[in-house]
Amino acid sequence: MTKTTIGRRTLGLAAAIGLAAPSIARAQAQTLTVWHDLGDNGIAWFERLSAEFAKERPGVTVRSQSFPTDQWFGRVIGAINTNSAPDLIFNNYERVIRIQAQTNRVMDMRAVLDGVQDRAFLTEADLRVGTYRDRMIIIPMQRVQMALGARKSWLDKVGERFPVSWEDTKRVAQKFREADPDGNGRADTFGFALQAARPRDLIHMLDLFVFGAGLSHTLIDPSGNILIDQPEHATILAEFLRTYSTYRFVPPDTINHSFAEMYQVIEGGRGGMFRVGDWNVRRWDMPNTLGGDFVTGAWPQFFPARDNAVVIGGMRGVGIPENAPNRALSIAFAQFMLGKTAQQASLETVGAVVRKDLDISSLSERSQWFARANHKLVAYDFPEATHSFYPELEAQFHRRLLAAIGSPPRDMDVFIRDLAREMRETAQRLSRG
Amino acid sequence: MTLARVRAEGVFYLLVLPFAALTILFGLWPIILSVQVSFTASATALSPNPTWVGFANYATILSDELFLASLWRTLAYTVMAVTLNLAFALGAAMLLDGTLLKRGNMVFRLVLFLPVVTPDVAGYVVWRWLFDHSFGAVNAALDLLGLPAFGGLTTVQTATFAILIAELWHHAGFYMIIFLANLAIRDPALEEAAKMDGAGAWACFRHVILPQLRPAIVINLVYATIQFLKTFTVVVVMTKGGPAESTTFVSYLAYQYFDQARYGEATAMASVLFAIVIALSLLAYRLGERGRT
Repeated sequence: MTKTTIGRRTLGLAAAIGLAAPSIARAQAQTLTVWHDLGDNGIAWFERLSAEFAKERPGVTVRSQSFPTDQWFGRVIGAINTNSAPDLIFNNYERVIRIQAQTNRVMDMRAVLDGVQDRAFLTEADLRVGTYRDRMIIIPMQRVQMALGARKSWLDKVGERFPVSWEDTKRVAQKFREADPDGNGRADTFGFALQAARPRDLIHMLDLFVFGAGLSHTLIDPSGNILIDQPEHATILAEFLRTYSTYRFVPPDTINHSFAEMYQVIEGGRGGMFRVGDWNVRRWDMPNTLGGDFVTGAWPQFFPARDNAVVIGGMRGVGIPENAPNRALSIAFAQFMLGKTAQQASLETVGAVVRKDLDISSLSERSQWFARANHKLVAYDFPEATHSFYPELEAQFHRRLLAAIGSPPRDMDVFIRDLAREMRETAQRLSRG
Repeated sequence: MTLARVRAEGVFYLLVLPFAALTILFGLWPIILSVQVSFTASATALSPNPTWVGFANYATILSDELFLASLWRTLAYTVMAVTLNLAFALGAAMLLDGTLLKRGNMVFRLVLFLPVVTPDVAGYVVWRWLFDHSFGAVNAALDLLGLPAFGGLTTVQTATFAILIAELWHHAGFYMIIFLANLAIRDPALEEAAKMDGAGAWACFRHVILPQLRPAIVINLVYATIQFLKTFTVVVVMTKGGPAESTTFVSYLAYQYFDQARYGEATAMASVLFAIVIALSLLAYRLGERGRT
């Protein structure tokens, strides 16, 4: 072979490689898109996941987009129905239910989960809170824990410890309202920071009291029985309504408060006891919010025979639309998300996980408390998964409760009995429709 | 028609076409889609093959006590808000147009108009704080004066009044500017003649100025009617429809139904409101036109 021939062939090979390289790179470079509503924390989490996943699958990039929750619904439903779906969707179970109800094109994730060897940490309850009408619509990824929090400096100031029983809680709330726990000389503090304005706001608060007291359902059980006039339920409901009205444990404007206003009361230092979600801790450990001045524990104990608990208020997980553009890769990524590396990243960015074998040493004391999860946990029952009419029933329940807060009934027992009767009639009517 | 004219108009329509298409696409199409959804079952409303239910959603909402109550509440609120806003705006415009407020006239105009250009959400958040029962400035001032506390947004009796004040603050400046523009082009000779004939201030206003303000009144009436029938933002920010639904207007109720995934009924409500807005606006316009002729 002459030098010229060798030179020509080398040049030709180089040219061929040069021409082919971009298309090889294109073939390997793939982008997975995830739509969620986790905001900046979620974006940071998926960025870390993208970097880690690329180590296993070179050339694959994961891009996440965070939408406000109400927009997330519309975008996902619209995209799935018009075959422009993202590769993965990530959100709370009850929200993915609505996506499935409107599209019927969320993939059954059971086979995907079966492909994961290391999954013993997922409990039966976790898996139940991922299944809707015999289809696993999400793989559980982040257990959402909600505890009761109390301002530590306020407890010290009024000479109280973190309350355990409901009687303790009432006493602490009274002192928080009357004993100037922030020491500013003004009567501007309240026992609780709660919310009430929208159906989910108020009933969510009631859920925390009910499930935290160790009960399993708030308004309706899976068989369709209305429970609010059962003795234990009625006791909690009555005390819950008095918390908003006659006990005056919350600011009077709470009747119009939703999440944003509730957070203002908490972070503005006006409410002494409040809900602490595991995702709140990172923010409230910062100096410009609560600066770590809070302790967490289980919700108040109403009945000595029942242990009080921290509430699992939701389960976030990943789902795959049946018309996802990169389905095989999406499945691989969903499986990767349950791995230790991905869960560790979730713990450090979002603050919630399903695994228990993670390194928690770098977390604050309060975050560690959630991560260890050594307390009793009672899971929210997701009645919307069983009863499609539940949101409508809940809206009517909310209206009656708000009316009772605005004008407290003279006889609470009669009110609850009448309300239960009305709820039964409504549930029957709605279930027929 | 000459060839040149056809050619000229053809070019005109050709140039207008993209904008007309965009208007239809982004202006009309969502309305058509919304009306279409109102004829489907909520459970399938957003799916590719929805179940058509005819007028069932309309029948449902028209027998829904909540909707009927919110509809009457919306109409009553609109009457109150339109009357209050236009009366205030007209009064302010007359004051600013007269000789009484010559000094600082520009400052007063600016102060009254600034809320119009203030983002509504920001403005209403501040009003919510002003009315706050625990730390609001309104009750602090009343307390200083030894007066009883104002229920503000926390009682059924006062919540509507509180949001009326906030909306007056936000909108009145706009109506005032329209009145001022109309006052600026009125014929002063008519007032001089009336005064020479011995007409008093009230008679002059009633029989000379007010008839000349008809264009501004019609514009403001139509615009304010549309504005207040669709009242939404102030409710979302300040009351969330409460307390005890006392500020749940149709727009907000439809939004709540959307939140419960009751898409068919929610869009039926929106369609009914849309029809009422169109009908009342046309009526106001026709009444104004009839008065002119």
